[in-house]
Amino acid sequence: MSEPHDPDSGHHGEHDGHDHGHGHGSRFIQHHYDDASHQFDSGKLGIWAFLVQEVLFFSALFVCYILYRTHHPEIYEYAHHYLQVKFGAINTGVLILSSLTAAWAVRCAQLNQRKGLILCLTVTIACAVGFLGIKYVEYAHKIEMGELYGAKFDPCATPNETPLLTKSKLCKGTKSSVVWNKDTGKPDAGCIGPKAFRINAETHAITAKCTVDEVKFALNGDKKTEQSRRSLEPCEMEREAGGESKPKKTPCFLIQANENVCGAGAGALALYGDEEKRGDDIGLDVACVDLPAVEAKADVFATPETTTTLGAKQIQPIAAKTDAEEVEELESSPPPPKTNMFFSIYFAMTGLHGIHVLFGIFVFVWLLIRAIKGHFTPDYFGPVDYAALYWHLVDLIWIFLFPLMYLIH
Amino acid sequence: MAHAATADTTPEPSYLEVTKGWKSWAYTLDHKRIGFMYLIGILCALMLGGAFALLVRAELFLPGETIVGQARYNELFTLHGAVMVFLVIVPGIPAALGNFILPIQLGAPDVAFPRLNLASFYLWCIGASLMILSIVLGGIDTGWTFYTPYSLTSQGAVIPAVLGVFVLGFSSIFTGLNFLVTVHKFRPQGMGWFQMPLNLWALYSTAVIQVLATPVLGITVLLLFVENFLHIGIFNPELGGDPVLFQHFFWFYSHPAVYIMIIPAMGVVSEIITTFSRKPIFGYRFIAYSSISLALLSFLVWGHHLFVSGQSRLATMVFSALTFTVAIPSAIKVFNWVATLYKGDIRLQTPMLYVLSFLLLFTIGGLTGLFLGILAIDVHLHDTYFVVAHFHYVMMGSTLVAFMGGLHYWFPKITGRMYPEKLGQLCAGGVFFGFNLTFLPQFIMGSRGMPRRYWDYDPEFTIFHQLSTVGAFILGISLFISVIYLAWAAKNGPKAPDNPWGGTTLEWSAPTPPVLYNFSTPPEVPEMYEYDDLVEDTVNGGWIRKPSTGPKTPKHH
Repeated sequence: MSEPHDPDSGHHGEHDGHDHGHGHGSRFIQHHYDDASHQFDSGKLGIWAFLVQEVLFFSALFVCYILYRTHHPEIYEYAHHYLQVKFGAINTGVLILSSLTAAWAVRCAQLNQRKGLILCLTVTIACAVGFLGIKYVEYAHKIEMGELYGAKFDPCATPNETPLLTKSKLCKGTKSSVVWNKDTGKPDAGCIGPKAFRINAETHAITAKCTVDEVKFALNGDKKTEQSRRSLEPCEMEREAGGESKPKKTPCFLIQANENVCGAGAGALALYGDEEKRGDDIGLDVACVDLPAVEAKADVFATPETTTTLGAKQIQPIAAKTDAEEVEELESSPPPPKTNMFFSIYFAMTGLHGIHVLFGIFVFVWLLIRAIKGHFTPDYFGPVDYAALYWHLVDLIWIFLFPLMYLIH
Repeated sequence: MAHAATADTTPEPSYLEVTKGWKSWAYTLDHKRIGFMYLIGILCALMLGGAFALLVRAELFLPGETIVGQARYNELFTLHGAVMVFLVIVPGIPAALGNFILPIQLGAPDVAFPRLNLASFYLWCIGASLMILSIVLGGIDTGWTFYTPYSLTSQGAVIPAVLGVFVLGFSSIFTGLNFLVTVHKFRPQGMGWFQMPLNLWALYSTAVIQVLATPVLGITVLLLFVENFLHIGIFNPELGGDPVLFQHFFWFYSHPAVYIMIIPAMGVVSEIITTFSRKPIFGYRFIAYSSISLALLSFLVWGHHLFVSGQSRLATMVFSALTFTVAIPSAIKVFNWVATLYKGDIRLQTPMLYVLSFLLLFTIGGLTGLFLGILAIDVHLHDTYFVVAHFHYVMMGSTLVAFMGGLHYWFPKITGRMYPEKLGQLCAGGVFFGFNLTFLPQFIMGSRGMPRRYWDYDPEFTIFHQLSTVGAFILGISLFISVIYLAWAAKNGPKAPDNPWGGTTLEWSAPTPPVLYNFSTPPEVPEMYEYDDLVEDTVNGGWIRKPSTGPKTPKHH
């Protein structure tokens, strides 16, 4: 809407012979204006008012950003590691270049340099398309990895690609059987076929401080969890709790997976009684009965109420950590609650910005066609000027978005 | 000038006759035709919204189910609110009357961006269609405010409705932007800021709010749309979002929007009251400044809609204090209008009757607003019929009454014909009486605890509800008759003179109805609100300038 004046206005044709005697230079000076500068000045004020409107349009999203960042700084701290600074930085450079060529285009139009104008507009369009291309790569990766907004936030992995149990979707992984890395206490990527598993609480339950109430074969969605739950077959097993004189009955489950369960982070989920009674050092081994040497370890990322990572291997003695270690730890730990809000705001802001870039492309293509036709002259170059102003604002918004989203520390 | 040659041949055809056929209207860039089309659209929407209102009132005639069930009732009051606010009152005066009058009062040939103006009208049509679509698709029951989280779970057709509001928002922004630039860039030489008619000050202030506030509504309903569509979660507490944030954003627009509705009404009142008192407006600069200060203050008070929504105590106190400041410019205007009447040669024709109604109703509406600005009292009155009555006094009793006044005032200029005066006066009386009968009982009910938006009520409220319903039907019938006789008069009324009321602003120097570019020759800027120069024309009716005051040199361009 930055360009309310179309050259092929019916205005002239409609009112032939109705000339107020203004000294119109370009044929694109509309009838109701006194002269070229009157039209240019009006358009300029109009586009500035429009840009003020645009700033306010974006302002609500910036308020969202500030509000949620104030209330939940930890999710920004965590989630920005998902974003690839490399892509953001390239896009910043691309947009700044396009702003330069847009400004240059205005200069060319003022000086009646048609070829320069066409070149500058072409480069601007190319940059805008390039920006959207890079944005597409970023978005596609996020969609694939489940790093999405709101209810759709269900990432396959932490920022440093430690696999996570997902609630709802299949994350792309290898076709091999799931292998739990006993040293890290985390599953590697994998796929569990329709097999029987025995979940044996014995080995890692030596130091258990509470009993295991329920074991869910939870991986790819609640539906499958339900399915698995129905096929749970409790088997009683005596075991000795380390240090405790009183032997306890610990449940042991046989779980039948009826279909392929694929994904990084495939494993079983154990729920350990009441939250306050849970011990920190409980672990479960999940072993496939007829697949030798494949062991899975229970992890508890999947449901919001059990985000605490359990498992013997996670317990670390407290020691001073370096910054790099802290980042490493942050990036490998599961997302804090409400991390989805970061992506809600990220997608809302960059999405709206992207729509503005797309609109800018249409405007610049239209200008390019008109430039090729030779419509712009030193006394009529308003549309180029207005579009460039619009483009600078779009650029400026990105200049704010890039550090606010990608460069948080 | 080119026109000198054509001056003594046949007169230029009016804007209504210059081209013919539906295409000449559908593709027109003439602000007068766009304003005319807006007017027709808005009057249709007014009748639709009014029909919803009457159904709501009919349902409330008796406790329990009267004509519709609970779910249908929720849809009726929602649609009444949404249609009246977004389709009628917000665009009413600026887009319909303002579009027609603003360039002529400036002596300009058109608005700055005629194409944008037409786009604004078509966006209004699209928005109206989406609203109607939401009715067809099962209605909406969220209330016109679309509060989250209910609007995220409601079974109604929320998506087309919020999309409609989004589109209507841009219609409003485009009109505001156009007016802003037009007032800045199209004032003729000799018309400084303080030589502008007060109507232009009002439309200018309105335009500022439209450009600054409406985008926030735009992004808010866009987020709500995306929320319903993609579950993005920003306003959804289940996903970690904040539903009260929606209320803040919504009222950051919708409170200033109240001033988008009322400030142009004040402009219309300022014009009519001086013309029909045959007296210069009292306190011109104060009225002008108060329009601007209302526009600015309107951005600082949105929090008074959230006194019971979990705002911090400090915020509520600050918003309460700021709310009272709004009373100052409003009161300045009322005092100046009353002072204009004082010792005036008052003519009680239909526009003036509406304006006198406005003075009384706006005073009641404004003063009851002060009650609601007091924190302790607001807790008692919040979401009761007291609030309903208060905002109807301001929106309907003030804005719509002023719109009707302005419509009658400029009707001869728009259509070139006079409306039936006696019938007009009768209907103006009916509107005043019916309105008060509808809403005065609601103040009483509200202060006694009758909650708004309730389908059923305790029997003790029956008599008030019945008075209110009877009043609403009187009001509805009066407005309906007005629309009918205006439609009739637009075709069949007696021909109107150029200046039927003896107005002094530029539109009364233009031919009736105006020609395509409003003035055949660039007009001279008249001495504004100077009534001594005008005498009644005993031959043709209306008023003409005394011959002795020789024309000054043309100043436009």
